[in-house]
Amino acid sequence: MDLKDIKAIIDLMKKNSISEFELEKQEFKIRLKRGNLNGPAAYDDAPGVPQYATAAPVAALPAPVAAAAPASATSGDAEIKSPMIGTLYRSPSPEAAPYVDIGSEVGPDTVVCIIEAMKVMNEIKAETRGIITAVVAENSKPVEFGQALFKIRPL
Amino acid sequence: MFEKVLIANRGEIAVRIIRACKELNIRTVAVYSEADANSMHVQMADEAICIGKGPSKESYLRIDRLISAAEIADVDAIHPGYGFLSENAHFADVCESCNIRFIGPSSRAMNAMEDKQVSRALAKKAGVATPPGSEGMVESEQEALTTAKKIGYPVMIKAIAGGGGRGMRVAHNDISMIKGFHTCRSEAEKAFGNAGVYIEKFIENPHHIEFQILGDTRGNLIHLGERDCSIQRRNQKLIEESPSPLFDRKDFRDLRKKMGKAALKIAEAANYTSAGTVEFIVDDKANYYFLEMNKRIQVEHPVTEEVTGVDLVKQMILIAAGEQLRISQGDLTARGHAIECRINAEDPFDDFRPSPGRIDMYYAPGGPGVRIDSHAYAGYTIPPYYDSMISKLIVWGRDRRDAMERMSRALSEYMITGIKTTIPFEQAILQDPNFRRGVYSTNFIEQLLGGGRRELIEEKA
Repeated sequence: MDLKDIKAIIDLMKKNSISEFELEKQEFKIRLKRGNLNGPAAYDDAPGVPQYATAAPVAALPAPVAAAAPASATSGDAEIKSPMIGTLYRSPSPEAAPYVDIGSEVGPDTVVCIIEAMKVMNEIKAETRGIITAVVAENSKPVEFGQALFKIRPL
Repeated sequence: MFEKVLIANRGEIAVRIIRACKELNIRTVAVYSEADANSMHVQMADEAICIGKGPSKESYLRIDRLISAAEIADVDAIHPGYGFLSENAHFADVCESCNIRFIGPSSRAMNAMEDKQVSRALAKKAGVATPPGSEGMVESEQEALTTAKKIGYPVMIKAIAGGGGRGMRVAHNDISMIKGFHTCRSEAEKAFGNAGVYIEKFIENPHHIEFQILGDTRGNLIHLGERDCSIQRRNQKLIEESPSPLFDRKDFRDLRKKMGKAALKIAEAANYTSAGTVEFIVDDKANYYFLEMNKRIQVEHPVTEEVTGVDLVKQMILIAAGEQLRISQGDLTARGHAIECRINAEDPFDDFRPSPGRIDMYYAPGGPGVRIDSHAYAGYTIPPYYDSMISKLIVWGRDRRDAMERMSRALSEYMITGIKTTIPFEQAILQDPNFRRGVYSTNFIEQLLGGGRRELIEEKA
């Protein structure tokens, strides 16, 4: 896949209001996110009605890969979304300091929080480089798939 | 009694289960994929948890996510509905090991029927006939001929590795058997990489008759009569009714009792609990054969509910909570006649091509004896990831004639625009003289469509 193809995909995304695109082939994975993502569904929708734009093929990855930089010039705050269901903990232990706070700079492998499910503590990584601009989810509260946990300004 | 139940399903059956829970004062938790965010079951439940992306593999089939959702919502039990994980013994085990009651049969009962081979053996032990066939693979031409002679023509030669109606040939005599045997083997080799074939009796004009079973955890087992599900298109049921018009025929009158007893024997042999269905195939000579047992609540359960007055979903919940079955076999009487039409988002004028999309206008039929089990509503967009059934229209009538008139009336009122549905096709079936006479087998739709599709449907609709 060369730059021309990537530009074509980005154009299709803009034209069809797709905010997230993932493609996995042999030896190659790409994930594109457009800026200003809101809400758990990866669709820009009119109030109440999800739009299913089908212009670009979407193949889901079992483990999401580091995102490429957003294409649009207006880069708003992205979101770190929950990949699982469980209870969110902001610190490694009750007495310890939170993993991240507003202003923390993170990289793709930085652990931002723990989500506990069935007594197993799962470290959740940022998966993007940026600065945490908001803490959206509450400590010790349940979170669902796709729920926004943090807001992050990508670097 | 449970305080909270999670429904591990979607669509109309999730709505059905939520309704039963509400009537039992049980709080409900819905799970949904991102594609189902606006679905009716999500809106009806007390709580809703998103469990993944649209494709079932990433949401409704994810045992880990379902259990996590059950945990954070602190539920007492999970109802699996039908399809998805409802007959997954491993899922039932995981629930129980996490101290969550699984509203359905035990994993042991499921495993007692896990495949055709095992269930045939179980039926044999219970003394119930299965379609006559070769015990396993047929290796030689000679063996094929002997087997065919033993079973009696006509027979079907089936590829072991085949499925979905593929890799089958009918033979009516020794000559066609020899030819068919070799052809089938070479075709199977080419198509499935496995030349293995077996032989089974070919039942002409088969009728699909199934019996509803309910069993509690104290060994009480009852059957709630039969459903006739012979109206099928490509092995998918479309119209179901109870009682079966087949049992009105002269030689068939004592079949109901015999088959009911056989169904109970099968369920007993499997130590079955909760709701289940024993499926039989019946030929034109009143011979019946056990096909398989479905270890879950079925799509067409409302037909039995309307005729017996028993709320099967509620019974499943009560049984799972450890309650004793308060209905005895003697208590049960069938009253009147019920018919169900499955309304699918498919275009009957275009080879039943699926028609997902946004429902524009939606007006459901009403009036006496009309029941709708559906998650559809005006403005709802049908997601492309799941099956095409959007509604079940069930009617009850004093007798079969009454029920058919009512169904025709209800179908004619049912207004769904923005997508294509099978409503006109089902209206055509309701007008068909053979259907009206109650004379039909599983070949019915194929025969109906065989002669002049569109004109036939348009003329009758």
